[in-house]
Amino acid sequence: MIDEIFVILYGLAIIAFVAWNIKKGTFVIDPNKLIPSLIIVFVVLAIILVFNGVPFDTAVSVVGKIGAGGIMFAGVVPMIGAAIGLFRFGDEYGPNIFYARNHITGIIDTVASLVMIFGGLLIFRLDLVAVGFFFFVLIPFCGNALANAYYYSYQRRLEK
Amino acid sequence: MMDVASLTSLADSVFFWGAFTFMVAVAIAGLGALRLALKGEAVTSLMGVSALTTAAGVSLYIIQIIFEVEFARDTAIALLVLGAVGTIIFARLFRMEEGE
Repeated sequence: MIDEIFVILYGLAIIAFVAWNIKKGTFVIDPNKLIPSLIIVFVVLAIILVFNGVPFDTAVSVVGKIGAGGIMFAGVVPMIGAAIGLFRFGDEYGPNIFYARNHITGIIDTVASLVMIFGGLLIFRLDLVAVGFFFFVLIPFCGNALANAYYYSYQRRLEK
Repeated sequence: MMDVASLTSLADSVFFWGAFTFMVAVAIAGLGALRLALKGEAVTSLMGVSALTTAAGVSLYIIQIIFEVEFARDTAIALLVLGAVGTIIFARLFRMEEGE
């Protein structure tokens, strides 16, 4: 029972924090401070577990899995936002809406690859990190190629 | 002395529900991408298929991690890598055929 309550509170806290960031339009806490603070908190948590008699590898695995779960909870809000955007922006906005949709699919790709990279690092799955990183490198080329193709084929024909 | 079994169970539970919630969110984004793929002209459809490929690949990778279905990983890697590379190649083809 305690597990389920912790999962719900932890997930809701992270989702609410990410939603607050998105609503504000900028970082609520500067990432230069937030990320080192989170790393320090998780290292201290692992040290406390080790001093309480938990084996080192188990302590690191427990802390890493909780962190990876948090990263996945953090990816939920941008994904839902991207889905709402894809349903929201229809063809009635004119031919230039393609670029907004391109941005939205870029968000889907970026969130997916970042979750794969950092989640994989925290659960020690290097194959996941490698695939996520390779995908992350390809995303800008993909978006640029699509926008380029749209501009030189469809939109230029419309303008003529 | 802390109970190792309950700690491991807590971490597994957090990871499982985090991954599951993310997979549901990815599935909803995949539905949006599917809608994009089924309407509009060629490049918009290509963009929708690309996003759908990403959603399917990430979902399959998560399925491999939380349910330990081994074949899902190979399918996910193929979808993610070939999806992105294929999108770039087809976008170049569209530009060459219809544009310049």
